[in-house]
Amino acid sequence: MSGDSPEIRAGQVGEQNASIRRIEIARQLRSIAVPAIALAGLFSTIAWVQPKLLSLRALAGLTTDAAPLLMLVMGSAVVILLGGIDLSVATMASFAAVAFVMLNPTLGEFAFVAVLGLAGLVGALQGYVHHRAQIPSFVVSFGSLGMLYGITHFISNATAAPLSQPSAIISFFGSRTGGLPNGVIVVLISAAILGALFRFTRLGREIFAVGASERAALLSGVKTLRVKVLAFAISAICASVAGLLLLGQTGYSSPAMANNYLLPAIVGVVVGGTAISGGIGGIACALVGGLIAGLVRIGTVIVGLNPAYQNIVFGVVIVIAVAITIDREKIGIIK
Amino acid sequence: MTPVLAATNIGKTYPGVRALHDVSVELRQNEVLGLIGQNGSGKSTLLKILSGMEQPTTGKIRLRGVDTIVRSPLAAASMGIGLVHQEQSLIPNLTVAENIFFDKPSPHRRFGIYNWRGLNREAARQLAKLECDIPPDIKVDALSFPDRQMVEFAKVLAIEELIDQPLVILFDEPTSLLSPSEVEDLFRQIRRLRARASVVFVSHRMEEVLEISDRVHVMVNGENVAERTQDTTSHEELYHLMVGSRRSDDYYQESGREPVEAFEPRLVVAGLTAPGRFRDVSLSVRSGEIVAVTGVAGSGAETFCRAIFGAEDGVVGSVKVAGHELGLSAMPDEAIRAGIGYVPAERKLEGVIVGRTVLENIILTFGPQMGRIGLINRKKETAQALSWINRLKVKTPSPVEYVERLSGGNQQKVSLAKWLMSDRLQVLILDHPTRGLDPGAKADLFGVMRELARQGLAIVFVSETLEETLGMADTVIVMRDGEVSAKFEDLCLHKPRPEQIVEAMV
Amino acid sequence: MTLTQNAGIEASPYKGAGRLAGQPKVASRLRFPLKELGPVATLAVLVLVFSLASAQFLSASNLKVVLESSAIPVVLVVGLSFILIQGSIDLSIEGVMAASSMLVSLLIANSVTGFDLGWWAILAGACLGSAFGLVNGLVYTFLRLPSLIVTLATWFVGLGIATLLFPGRQPQILDERLTRLALDKSLGVSALVFLALAVAVFGWFLQTYTQFGRMSYAIGRDEKATRQSGQHVRFHKILAFVLMGLMSGVGGVMISAQLAVGNPAAGEGFLFPAVSAAVIGGTLLSGGTGGVLQSIIGVFILEVLRNGMIQLGVDPYLRHVAEGLTIIAALVIGNWSLRGRLRIVK
Repeated sequence: MSGDSPEIRAGQVGEQNASIRRIEIARQLRSIAVPAIALAGLFSTIAWVQPKLLSLRALAGLTTDAAPLLMLVMGSAVVILLGGIDLSVATMASFAAVAFVMLNPTLGEFAFVAVLGLAGLVGALQGYVHHRAQIPSFVVSFGSLGMLYGITHFISNATAAPLSQPSAIISFFGSRTGGLPNGVIVVLISAAILGALFRFTRLGREIFAVGASERAALLSGVKTLRVKVLAFAISAICASVAGLLLLGQTGYSSPAMANNYLLPAIVGVVVGGTAISGGIGGIACALVGGLIAGLVRIGTVIVGLNPAYQNIVFGVVIVIAVAITIDREKIGIIK
Repeated sequence: MTPVLAATNIGKTYPGVRALHDVSVELRQNEVLGLIGQNGSGKSTLLKILSGMEQPTTGKIRLRGVDTIVRSPLAAASMGIGLVHQEQSLIPNLTVAENIFFDKPSPHRRFGIYNWRGLNREAARQLAKLECDIPPDIKVDALSFPDRQMVEFAKVLAIEELIDQPLVILFDEPTSLLSPSEVEDLFRQIRRLRARASVVFVSHRMEEVLEISDRVHVMVNGENVAERTQDTTSHEELYHLMVGSRRSDDYYQESGREPVEAFEPRLVVAGLTAPGRFRDVSLSVRSGEIVAVTGVAGSGAETFCRAIFGAEDGVVGSVKVAGHELGLSAMPDEAIRAGIGYVPAERKLEGVIVGRTVLENIILTFGPQMGRIGLINRKKETAQALSWINRLKVKTPSPVEYVERLSGGNQQKVSLAKWLMSDRLQVLILDHPTRGLDPGAKADLFGVMRELARQGLAIVFVSETLEETLGMADTVIVMRDGEVSAKFEDLCLHKPRPEQIVEAMV
Repeated sequence: MTLTQNAGIEASPYKGAGRLAGQPKVASRLRFPLKELGPVATLAVLVLVFSLASAQFLSASNLKVVLESSAIPVVLVVGLSFILIQGSIDLSIEGVMAASSMLVSLLIANSVTGFDLGWWAILAGACLGSAFGLVNGLVYTFLRLPSLIVTLATWFVGLGIATLLFPGRQPQILDERLTRLALDKSLGVSALVFLALAVAVFGWFLQTYTQFGRMSYAIGRDEKATRQSGQHVRFHKILAFVLMGLMSGVGGVMISAQLAVGNPAAGEGFLFPAVSAAVIGGTLLSGGTGGVLQSIIGVFILEVLRNGMIQLGVDPYLRHVAEGLTIIAALVIGNWSLRGRLRIVK
């Protein structure tokens, strides 16, 4: 460009980078503040009613129970960040557990890879159909929810089945390392991977761009098909890990074992501050939101409420959380 | 005799834009008044105000001698003002009869219960006023476009049943999608209607306006510059009036203007056609050349430019960038890989990603190329984006400010900087790049464009005004009704008169 | 030119080119267009295939079984059709049915509580359903949240309320007036089938002859234009959800009559077939298309399919796979021509 372009000195760039980083971190903290305070408040309320919650044992139990849910929440968050929704995650988790129990005798530990691969494939297919045929993601995932439900019941004969052959991976999922439930380790590793995906890869940045404004992203050369296929695949893979975590905890698979997790999973995403309209939120938000949802699940039991209240609380919470975080202008006409 | 409708000293400002300034129009009993003007001259805004879709900032409207405020299209209808929409307002999965009475009370629809027989009979009566025998119980879905226009027309005529005074009917570019014989049909209807209504007719086709109107108002830049009667004016006079007398130099840059030296074309577009939008448009742009594609709204200039970038459906023809042929089904990402950049007119919807930062917007497309295997090289891409922020003088509190907080001109620079990040950009296409910018920002942007051309970029832009076109371009391509109607080359050496361009436009 | 008011049926759609007198034209609002014959043809083929493959399929007793099992889905899709025509969705059907079933079984003469409200209990079940619908509609239109999220929430709220109402042991319904609705047969079928028929006729009337029905189509096709024309879009949307809630409530009463017990899981397995049936019949999730009759054809397709599969010994769970596939396929086919490279669908 013309002569007025001032060459920027290296020191200046470093200074700029530092200030950019400062602003970004402050923004992250701000976005997570309200859900984090809610989590802390909820936790202390429950601990106040039932002080036993503060024991290590109880905390370990709490996090073990929350681990599959957290996996589901993180997976769903990826799709919701795109502005879509995946209603098939819970059924996918059940499917993964059943499929693993069936494949394990023949494939051994490779069943783990096979199940994750299969889940990824189904997820990718959902993303592909959603984008190529341009039909809403909730319809595609609603349809595949039905299909997975049918397939899972069909292959399992609609009965629960124990893991017929011991599997090192599944028993790892169900046990602890130095007091720390392995489920928590799996969640933390997955969160680290997804966090890195959003910070260090092109895909992560493009997921946010598509969620914020798909049309502008498309006109900026983002391959939206690829982004959607990968996002739905990630969501399905996270869901299958959740199913296997459940399998590790109980030792047997049942065709509807995770189906109750659909609402808590979506609640987890939205109470964490991720907007259902896309483009706002992240993995940290999903973790905090998932913990809130998990705490509500356990909390009702600990406090001694009828577990039926869980569903009612989740129902009310999701409406409030979505009402606060949704960007109505972006959606236009709300159906 | 008092005019049926009189709008006096109407002004309308949108944030940052003055769309209408001190416009006065009188519509007399049983006459057809034509409104003519270039894009952005304010004729559509005026129509919106008269039909209640928009409220004027200043001025007043007198209807049949009484001061009136037209609060909404519904209120307008109850006063006897009807607008025949350019983009039709019919609901296609309802029947013709339902559509005609969609926004009106009807005695055949009481307490929410329909009397279909009565409604159909009544609709048939309205259609009969137009000598039109479309069955009233058919769904609009099944009708052809001209037939839908008739239904739209009947919908407005049915207002007659609500009031006992003659109607005021406003037509907003009703002919833009009709064939000549269909236009003739429509004109016959309008002439018949004159006996019992007054008509305002807006069109961008000069012949049509002169043919149907008794009087013509010419609008330029939101002002009403002249009023002529049909029998005392001529095409030439109207063209001259439409160009306007204002000559403002700060909108474009004459300085630094020199003939294009290169001969090898950078971008060659041959026989590009998109059915219903534009036909057989060809274009060749050399390195360093600035081509302006211009035309009134609906001429196909914008869609043609989008089609080059792969943002339009069903396009046939050939696009070559630096000798490399772009596939017909190429999506924007393929056009980008071939070296095309596109700055869209709809900044907030398409140009920048609202909700993400300035930095992220700039590095979205070409940032990842500085990293490897899908990983990003944050340091390098940030440094380069920062240097573009500096060079384009983007005014932002911080590089990580959300892009929607910037002013329009700075957003436009962000949208542009995204393409400049590329090291192999060949062609830059800009659609109405100065829309909504203040004069300073416009001059700024044109300076950047001129500079980019000097560095060898091939530039195609759809201009906002005639001044821009004449001031910026080396070559001007004028489009009318989807076809190239005129081409002016080497503007540097011999400049066409503005009237020549306007004549090719309307 | 003369105006013809011919109501005859014309095979080719009116092209409009024939605006001149004497040209072919005219089609009727009540005409069943060719492309909508697909579901009817599907149903005919299914019936044909199953009656060839299984001797019992066409027997009177088996057809009665199909009719009995269609009763509740028909009631549900009548409500659902209006929701889908408007372009919204209601996922709360199962939760509302469960809550309504529990309420009815506890308020009517039963083995657990002391209530014996008779017909009032049934009315209470229907009212509870409508109340759910009203809440759905109000939250949806006033908080402006996607109906998907709102009804997902009330689905589970309904299940929660049903579980809370559950007294620990299953209430047997002792009032025979309710159970006889499912047991006593006249003309070979139970009163529930006649109830479904009446609901279907009512739904068809609403769709064809009322402002609510017609505006539902307009809202589904072009909500903005509908609002700008001064229509009360919000009112019609709320009404659709109240109607859907009422139908879910009635569905809950019907399932209680069939089971003769109150069951918090009474609604299980009704949502998915209802949505599938509507979509298969041509009431697509994209809004503005289909109708009550089409959705009911869809119900029969699914019930015949299920019945035939049972007759042939096919695993009934595979039905879910077929349903899921058709939901997607129907929308893919219906939407194919609308695709565009810049069209954004979330």
